[in-house]
Amino acid sequence: MKKVMVIVPFPMGKEDLSRRQAQMKAVDLGPGIEFHYRAVRVGPKNYSSQHDMVLADFSIVDAGLDAEKEGFDAVCIDTMSDSGMAMLRSVLTIPVIAPGRHSMLVAQMLGDKFSILMMWDRWKMLYTKTLGELGMEHKCASMRSIDVTPDNKSLLSGKEDQVFPLLLEAAQKCVKEDGAQVLILGSTTMHEAHSWLSERIGVPVINPGPLTYKLASIALDLKLTHSKATWPTPLVPKHDMIRAIGAAGAAYLEGNQ
Amino acid sequence: MTRILVIVPFALDAEGVRNREAQSRYVPLPADWELTYRPVTCGPTSFMSPHDWGLMDLAIFEAGCNAEAEGFDAVCIDTMSDSGMVMLRSVLSIPVIGAGKASMLYALTLGGKFSVLAQWEPALPRYRKAIREYGFDRQCASVRSFDQPPDFSNLLGGKEDKVFPRMRDVAMRCIEEDGAEVICLGSTTMHQAGEYLAANLPVPVVNPGPLTYKLVETFLALGLRHGRDVYPAPVEPRLDMLHAMMKAGAAAENAAKG
Repeated sequence: MKKVMVIVPFPMGKEDLSRRQAQMKAVDLGPGIEFHYRAVRVGPKNYSSQHDMVLADFSIVDAGLDAEKEGFDAVCIDTMSDSGMAMLRSVLTIPVIAPGRHSMLVAQMLGDKFSILMMWDRWKMLYTKTLGELGMEHKCASMRSIDVTPDNKSLLSGKEDQVFPLLLEAAQKCVKEDGAQVLILGSTTMHEAHSWLSERIGVPVINPGPLTYKLASIALDLKLTHSKATWPTPLVPKHDMIRAIGAAGAAYLEGNQ
Repeated sequence: MTRILVIVPFALDAEGVRNREAQSRYVPLPADWELTYRPVTCGPTSFMSPHDWGLMDLAIFEAGCNAEAEGFDAVCIDTMSDSGMVMLRSVLSIPVIGAGKASMLYALTLGGKFSVLAQWEPALPRYRKAIREYGFDRQCASVRSFDQPPDFSNLLGGKEDKVFPRMRDVAMRCIEEDGAEVICLGSTTMHQAGEYLAANLPVPVVNPGPLTYKLVETFLALGLRHGRDVYPAPVEPRLDMLHAMMKAGAAAENAAKG
């Protein structure tokens, strides 16, 4: 049995974690593979500024640092910011799949230009960073926001009537005005809107979380993992220091609850 | 039962098709999958000039244009040229995957820059054209050839000792001199060298044919397919005419062979 660790980017309890796990239902993963969700123990309150992004990178590398040693065969990162991906790829040899980079590349297998639908403008910096790293700014038709503050724990539940039509309206603008041929949901936390939206919009819509699960599965079947020429191993790994920093952050959060 | 049509870009005989079929052994495929390898009715004998590319588009389009009505769930095109892909997407709503664009994009999931290992010098212009058209100039470190005339039926069979080390040496130049972080095999006909190169190179090696099978698996599992807005259906399809044309082409080829 292959084991995949899914790193959830905010500290959370069981009930909130189950809303993340519900992404599994959107994809047929076949037998022989299981997914274990692990929430980070430290991190920012949300992803709204560069202050948050550096904490996010750290929190995810802290959560996945020992994935290989713990017997996992691959790691998926449950955030479109791809936080922690580069750091984890430098310390792990198992596949580390993050939805931002992967959904932008897979979108181009289905069409040429894609747009990204986001909850609020604060997320724009997440995609700009990945587009810059890929050198594919010219492939992104637009990024459109519905200007609704995201809730990274309860996700969209209870807000369907308000949020879904706004998403459809923004999606239509991406297609008709901006020339998008494929749409990408700007966050794995938007997965609850995926099937509703894809039934109505007429272009492919990428649900980034489930995509990473399937890509983890096929990377294992193809015996392919990331290139160490791109993400080189550190000369002096500081794993113990990372664990100590993570533990101190977790203790701080617990003390302030 | 999930039925996949794999279009083989040359009018090969049974043995030539078997050499292509061997690609499916490199990866585990879902138990209920059936792969049907179908050679084109007629077409060019090589890939080296615009004459060949135009005919190849027509040949692959004809071979796959009824795939959906025939009950197939997806189409893989067994060539890095992606010949026929966009035409097939305009008449089919099932996933259609060519090995070229998809393997370059997949390479970029594994590293920042890729090089394409080409069979011989005459093949280089086609790769350069595709890379420019896809807008991947910045992501492509180089295209280099290992200078071996292609055999589209026997592939690399019988030439392993001579050719595999040369492929490795050229790939090492891509890595050390050009900055490649991932190597894409430039043709699905190189599949026999994939495992050797993966074991003897310090970066990942993408074997394009088997990759297309796994990408089809991914798209079927997620319910994803190309958008028909990008590949709109023809106002007046002439698929019957297309079949008649290629049948006549095949007859002319047979007559020429005597």
